[in-house]
Amino acid sequence: MNMIEVDGLTKRFGQFTAVDTVSFHVDKGEIFGLLGPNGAGKTTTIRCLLTLIPVTNGKATVAGIDILKKPQQAREVSGYVPQDVSVDGDLTGYENLLFYARLFHVAGSARKERIREVMRFMDLAEKANDLAKNYSGGMMRRLEIGQVLVNRPRVLFLDEPSIGLDPVAKRMVWDYIQQLRDEFDATILLTTHDMNEADFLCDRIAIMNGGKIVVTGPPSKLKTELGGDIITITSDNSSCRQVLQQLGYQLLPQSQDHDCDLVADNGEKKIPEIIDKLKNHGVSTTSVSLKEGTLDDVFLKYAGKRIGEGDLTWQTTRAVRRTERRHG
Amino acid sequence: MNVIRLFTDIFTITDFELRKIWHDSSQVFIRAIQPILWLLVFGQVMSKINLMSSSIPAGYTYLQFLTPGVLAQSVIFVAIFYGFNMVMDRDMGLLHKLLSTPIPRYSIVLGKTLSAGVRSVIQALVVFILAVIIRVQLIMTPVSIIGVIVIIILTGMCFSGLSIFLASFFKTRERIMGIGQAIMMPLFFASSAIYPVDIMPTWLQVIARINPLSYIVDAMRALLVTADYSHLALDFGITVLATAVLVTLASTSFSRIIR
Repeated sequence: MNMIEVDGLTKRFGQFTAVDTVSFHVDKGEIFGLLGPNGAGKTTTIRCLLTLIPVTNGKATVAGIDILKKPQQAREVSGYVPQDVSVDGDLTGYENLLFYARLFHVAGSARKERIREVMRFMDLAEKANDLAKNYSGGMMRRLEIGQVLVNRPRVLFLDEPSIGLDPVAKRMVWDYIQQLRDEFDATILLTTHDMNEADFLCDRIAIMNGGKIVVTGPPSKLKTELGGDIITITSDNSSCRQVLQQLGYQLLPQSQDHDCDLVADNGEKKIPEIIDKLKNHGVSTTSVSLKEGTLDDVFLKYAGKRIGEGDLTWQTTRAVRRTERRHG
Repeated sequence: MNVIRLFTDIFTITDFELRKIWHDSSQVFIRAIQPILWLLVFGQVMSKINLMSSSIPAGYTYLQFLTPGVLAQSVIFVAIFYGFNMVMDRDMGLLHKLLSTPIPRYSIVLGKTLSAGVRSVIQALVVFILAVIIRVQLIMTPVSIIGVIVIIILTGMCFSGLSIFLASFFKTRERIMGIGQAIMMPLFFASSAIYPVDIMPTWLQVIARINPLSYIVDAMRALLVTADYSHLALDFGITVLATAVLVTLASTSFSRIIR
């Protein structure tokens, strides 16, 4: 069963089209990632699905509920963890959980048990009565996720779940997300601009750029479709690229005369062969390196630029910095 | 069933707003500084000037006249920043998360304005206690106290509603800060809070008669000082009406904040 189904979703802000006829679906129990640079339309997409902002065009269902016709019901089965701080620092951890248990109308008799369970699962019990503003970045993030888990949402929307966290806290959050899918039986839609995160967490991803989805599939499959490993060859000889092309190797678009990236299966075995052939054509090589294809290369292939090169607006830059400052 | 749910939603929002004061009460005292200065500095000096004493009701001191005005001012200090807080919550992720819960949008506004009302009572209590300490003669019967509490809750709701309404159009912290400051002064001076409306020039009298704050202050003055209840029904009616209008406007405009 499809827990999320999006069909031709479009969102315009005045003249600017933030989300442009986007379609995708997420299966029950799947972790699905929207991957793309800042400003690609990922956050706007999930805000539309959560009925926070009106949709310009298109249809969508969440857990089978039409979000346009029954927005309130759709929100009942959804849990949203925004990118920015969403716990109230002036309340304790326990109060932050209780607040959401009440807003989601969790029955009074079940509340205590639900909160206890979330605190145990997210390792929050120890500091339950401390004000949330004194929490570390990782703990705050766990509390933010915990707040929506008290509702046992069927679909969980996580916007940049590990942004601004240090590597240890980031890894911890990833583990929690994977476990909670099983333990809370949730379907998860997350956004990220971190390809390692997408690679590690997601069963399938959709790569977004400029409001459009450029490609969808499991990370491993997308990487395989690159055609294998990437071999980078540098040479003093400026005909290097030309010769490689004549030899029939598949060059990536960013290749230059002295500096070529080519794609090959079993790259480590191809290297001696390539060097020999180049030598026969009078081209000597100064360095050769090999790396496995990453999602960044997949993104490069479909969007024509690297993820980090997204056009940052002043506003998104500020938002990201603010978040990073918070997490220290 | 739905009505019960609505009330529990509103109560939940109010409850947790008020818990924040419980965790950190310093704000209550910081916000009391300015009203206290009005009472202690401005009030003490102005009561020495005969100019106004001819216009305030016979037999009452200027401090008695001023106290209800300063009580109202302390309430406005609390309420006028609610829109600002709302924008702060939006700039973080708090408001988006709150809006992603199934509760209706207007219950958020009702909950926030109601908490502004209750907070206002706590805020006004500080000023009230000071007034008692400096021996301002006030009527303190159960009826007058309850009446004043009701007026204060309505005032807090009324002006926090105004603040949220303005915030949904001005949207940034800087602008809302500026707007808040800009309306606070005329609101206060063009009302019956610190001097009788009768001594104002005609054009200002007109403004003071439209200003709901005049009616709020008059109601509190009747309850706490003069025991002249001839205008009380009108004062109370206008306070309720202004509150209802502004809270409704805020409820309908509020979701613009996140767009």
